[in-house]
Amino acid sequence: MRERLFLYIDRDSPLHRLNPFTKLVLTFALILIAFLGPGYYLATAIFILILIPLSFWGRIWREFVSTSLRLLLPFFGFLFVMQSLFYPGGQTVLVNLWIFSVKAEGVGFAYLTATRILVVVASFLVFLLSTHPSTLMTDLARRGLPSPLIYVIVSTLQIIPQMRVKAETIIDAQRSRGLDTQGSLRKRVRALLPLVGPLVFSSLVDVEERAIAIEARAFSAKRPKTSLVEVPDSRAQMIARWVFVGIVLLAIGSRIWL
Amino acid sequence: MIDIQDLTYTYPATDSPALKNVSLKVEEGEFVAIIGANGAGKSTLCYTIAGFIPHFFAGTLNGKVEVAGIESQHSTLQELVLNVGLVFQNPFNQISGAKFTVYEEIAFGLENLGIPREEMIKRVDKVMALTGITDLAKRSPYALSGGQQQRVALASILVMEPKILVLDEPTSQLDPIGTREVFQVIKEMSNRGMTVVMAEHKVEWIAEFTDKVIALSRGEVLLQGPPAEVLTSPLLPQHGIGISRYTAVARRAREENLWPAALPLPVTLDDAVAGFVGGLENAH
Repeated sequence: MRERLFLYIDRDSPLHRLNPFTKLVLTFALILIAFLGPGYYLATAIFILILIPLSFWGRIWREFVSTSLRLLLPFFGFLFVMQSLFYPGGQTVLVNLWIFSVKAEGVGFAYLTATRILVVVASFLVFLLSTHPSTLMTDLARRGLPSPLIYVIVSTLQIIPQMRVKAETIIDAQRSRGLDTQGSLRKRVRALLPLVGPLVFSSLVDVEERAIAIEARAFSAKRPKTSLVEVPDSRAQMIARWVFVGIVLLAIGSRIWL
Repeated sequence: MIDIQDLTYTYPATDSPALKNVSLKVEEGEFVAIIGANGAGKSTLCYTIAGFIPHFFAGTLNGKVEVAGIESQHSTLQELVLNVGLVFQNPFNQISGAKFTVYEEIAFGLENLGIPREEMIKRVDKVMALTGITDLAKRSPYALSGGQQQRVALASILVMEPKILVLDEPTSQLDPIGTREVFQVIKEMSNRGMTVVMAEHKVEWIAEFTDKVIALSRGEVLLQGPPAEVLTSPLLPQHGIGISRYTAVARRAREENLWPAALPLPVTLDDAVAGFVGGLENAH
């Protein structure tokens, strides 16, 4: 039962102890700055000077590097090949390959796109690897996110892996009754119905029971909720969040006025 | 504590009522069992006492349902759940999904009630000790056995300190060990003076622990009274309600004059043994 839908790695680090909202604001700020800010190498600088040190600070660099590579390497390969060969309006030919030619403008464009996407993925990884969804949701609840919405997000993280287990049980049960789930595409599609049917119907029954269970726990009680988990926050972090927002505004300004 | 008079309830989109002219009373501190064949209305009665009928399931309800001094038709589910805790069959579906550890799962109800953190911790610790799950505190509620999960579900309700505990076949999906663990907690709560209503099939457990048994058949009250009386009634098998094997053996023995006619039929092993031993001694 180690399967789960979130990436969090339980370690003790200053990054882990930061308020989740601070990390969330930082994540979005870095992404916006990488896209809106000035300079060709800005995204590269953010990655090398901010995100990599953050991953060391949070003691998650191993997972950070391996997950980034697994997610991005195939995509980057494709991006560079396509853009360097087929970038529209490319003039400066670097290398000729049979009827194709690699153009500098294409390579440049691919590099800029790749580094920006790298910042998007890496920022979220630093955030998700160091923040438990429970802490994040507790903090967002305190900041006024409605509790039904929070319930939907958290329970999805928990219940989807359980549904997978259930789906496997149903597959096994139907196979033992002679359902053929292997072979041609047509056969597989045909086999889908006896699998999806029980899964959907039993899940609907589960939903009703779960609704009763959470109502029995006073989920819709009309009183202010409290929280077991205390999420640390500080004045310094609050100031830091506003500074991040300020830098994003400057980046937007640079778009308009530079 | 519970006063139901002439209750008739029909689920939405069905023609025949699930409960018909049900009247019953449960006193404070009583431990009452509800027995009946599948479809007899046990779960419906549990949902009604807990307020989910008519506030969660629509449908038509006639008659009076008064629980802990509140008439449920004139109240709201949010108010009713404060007095009545409900635990049902499937342990898995009672895990809220809102929390990642057992400890937080148990505190979930208290968070919703707005209980201050210090008190929350005190109450969660207490109830975990009571239900014997202290060592599971940091585990994921999904990574537990059925018996453990059911005790977490029970703890999650008990921590809210309801006046009445309603259990709808709490052990039907558990193995014998899990069943024993859950029954022990329920018995302990009853000993501490909590009012308990439990729908259950396991008659030997019922005979041992409860003060009163209500037998339902097709939505109507067939019998109600002390366990020794109700559980040995010849009416039960006629209405598809399972009886204890010891009762069956003793009834057969009585036909063969091996069980004293004056002695009531037993439900538990101990009573059966005492009866047969007494019979043998008299024969000698």
